Amino acid sequence: MKHNPWWNLVAMFLLISSCYAVKVGDSAPDFQAMDSNGQVHKLSQYRGKFVVLEWHNNGCPYTQKHYESGNMQHLQKEWTSKGVVWLTVISSAPGEQGYVTAQQENDYMSKMKASPTAALLDPRGDVGKLYSAKTTPHMFVVNPAGVLIYDGAIDSKATTEQADISTAKNYVSQALEESMAGRPVSTPTSRPYGCSVKYAH
Amino acid sequence: MNCSFSPRFVVFLISAVGLMLPTAASSQGKADEHTTLSLVSEQDALVRGKQLWIGIRFDLQDGWHTYWTNPGDSGEPPRIEWQLPAGFQVSDIQWPHPERLALASLADYGYEDHVLLMVTVRPPERLRRVESTKIAAQVHYLVCHDVCIPGQKHLELSLPVKASAAFSPARPLFDAARQKLPRPMPRNWKISATSTGDEFVVNLKADKLAKPVQFFPLHAEQIENAAPEKSTEVLGGLRLHLKKSEHLLRPIARLEGVIVLASGDAYRVRIPVAQPRDAHTQSKN
Repeated sequence: MKHNPWWNLVAMFLLISSCYAVKVGDSAPDFQAMDSNGQVHKLSQYRGKFVVLEWHNNGCPYTQKHYESGNMQHLQKEWTSKGVVWLTVISSAPGEQGYVTAQQENDYMSKMKASPTAALLDPRGDVGKLYSAKTTPHMFVVNPAGVLIYDGAIDSKATTEQADISTAKNYVSQALEESMAGRPVSTPTSRPYGCSVKYAH
Repeated sequence: MNCSFSPRFVVFLISAVGLMLPTAASSQGKADEHTTLSLVSEQDALVRGKQLWIGIRFDLQDGWHTYWTNPGDSGEPPRIEWQLPAGFQVSDIQWPHPERLALASLADYGYEDHVLLMVTVRPPERLRRVESTKIAAQVHYLVCHDVCIPGQKHLELSLPVKASAAFSPARPLFDAARQKLPRPMPRNWKISATSTGDEFVVNLKADKLAKPVQFFPLHAEQIENAAPEKSTEVLGGLRLHLKKSEHLLRPIARLEGVIVLASGDAYRVRIPVAQPRDAHTQSKN
């Protein structure tokens, strides 16, 4: 393939633009990451489908709230059965809370009966930083056109208490339901709550 | 902050940090191993119809913190459920100004070492004189180091009802905490802000400002907490550049928060935000 010097410029622009955080209404930036089964996933391969990104750290009490109650697994099951791609992303750096090897993550998922489409291992934090993922959980929803339609908390009750789940408004389900019904998303962003993502210092 | 780094740089960072920091503890223990909570009163008795200050004191282990009412990018503020006898009135928590707690690429607002979360309580006019009246609180809180642990604590305090009260031994804690309560903005200050493309530019006209000046937003998701604080001196005051939050999708009429001077003085501010008139700038928003 003939190398076109313009591509360098384009690449440089992409690199620079990746310095700015993602914003609801904009194109969700593409990324590539390996899952816990060694398979590579690119966001762009899922064009045409809704994609949920779930930032995850199994040692974080806010993540535990949604897994020990079964809430997250329920959401994964419900939405993947409706054709949504659900990507759990783990951006904890080696040595930090929530860092897992592929095997550890597979063991965890089978123990917790979690069923995302895939669990992406992001120990360098590349995907996390591309999306400015702040907390675990921090949720993003991308529509079939590749546009970010939700960025924020999993629900409206920023606590570690499982009892709050049933009375909280789930913003991810709301965004998916509204968008699938062709309506605008009524809460397109919220403050993500939880533990800080354990990036390398 | 959100830039891609070369793998070599990341490896360098990880190894550099690895040398500087002890390995993160894998066993976290319980929240109350990292903070001691107590319920204290400024006075030694309750007096009918007379307001008094009580508070929840957090004594935090080195390196651990808890949160302000707006916790910033992560974490959660403490919540207090008061259990008071009938007829008692209790205020909201009077939050001392926080510190900025910088994490890897985030920033939180909270407290290290210790904090006293005070409320005012007013017993009713009709109150029987008794030996002791029980005041109780259920505190829900989160303490964090590298990792976070939620905790809950039930605290009780018994105070007699008397005709008059004296200060309790805890009084110095209250004096110190009140020093850190944000006060109304001085009358001779003038403050306003302009919304530009990706910033709020705050203009503060005031004499003799002890710099640096920090702004803590009362509401989440208005400004980017972790953005570097930029300020420039202008004639008769200061200009603060606050980066807008990526979560802010609509224009806001005002920024509310607390300004803390280098002297430790803290002031509540409600800053009117002027929207750009320039159509070009507006289309960029």
